[in-house]
Amino acid sequence: MKNTIKVERAKKNWTQAELAEKIGVSRQAINSIEASKFVPSTVLALRMAKEFGASVESIFQLEETDLV
Amino acid sequence: MYIWLKQIRAMEKSKKPLSDRLPLYALIWVLSYVGSLGALKMLSLPEEFEVILTIVPALAFALFLYTFYRYVHLMDEVQIKIRMEAAVVAFSLALVTVMTLGLVDIAFKLNGEDWNFRFLAPMFMAYYLIGLVISKRKYNIDHEEHD
Repeated sequence: MKNTIKVERAKKNWTQAELAEKIGVSRQAINSIEASKFVPSTVLALRMAKEFGASVESIFQLEETDLV
Repeated sequence: MYIWLKQIRAMEKSKKPLSDRLPLYALIWVLSYVGSLGALKMLSLPEEFEVILTIVPALAFALFLYTFYRYVHLMDEVQIKIRMEAAVVAFSLALVTVMTLGLVDIAFKLNGEDWNFRFLAPMFMAYYLIGLVISKRKYNIDHEEHD
């Protein structure tokens, strides 16, 4: 799964630490999610989308390999 | 022992964050284990005292485990997954170790001084740390390029 967290962060001019604080996770967790190493839970994805003022689908997109 | 209990009670009262208390409880557990091990090996103590010494590290570990369990609730999902995977790695390696040692013991009759249960505790701890390193690398936790 790919994501546009880095782009959304850049739009808001937020660091990973700032985003982490807003959604209540560690900076390392944001780093891991941003690098597509970890797929967040629905709650966390929704929390993130809410902070960015965007939809979850616009932040997280399935890749070819994720499709059944 | 009495000093430790006093310290633990004081820490519980002070409402210090669990993250601060956890390393101390881990240290108490390790020291109580090493202390008991040393005392049981080197001193000739009454049997009742030896029983107490074998129980103390288990109690210290129970305290550490209880604090760790409470601390898990404060972790985010990535941190929980890392610890979970580390535990899986540690459990698997521990199982292989015990299984292999059991078979080796049947084949060659292990000498008690070369291999015994005492060596397993530090090995299992090392396995958990190995699991932590593997899992942290997998989830990019130590990667510092972040802004």
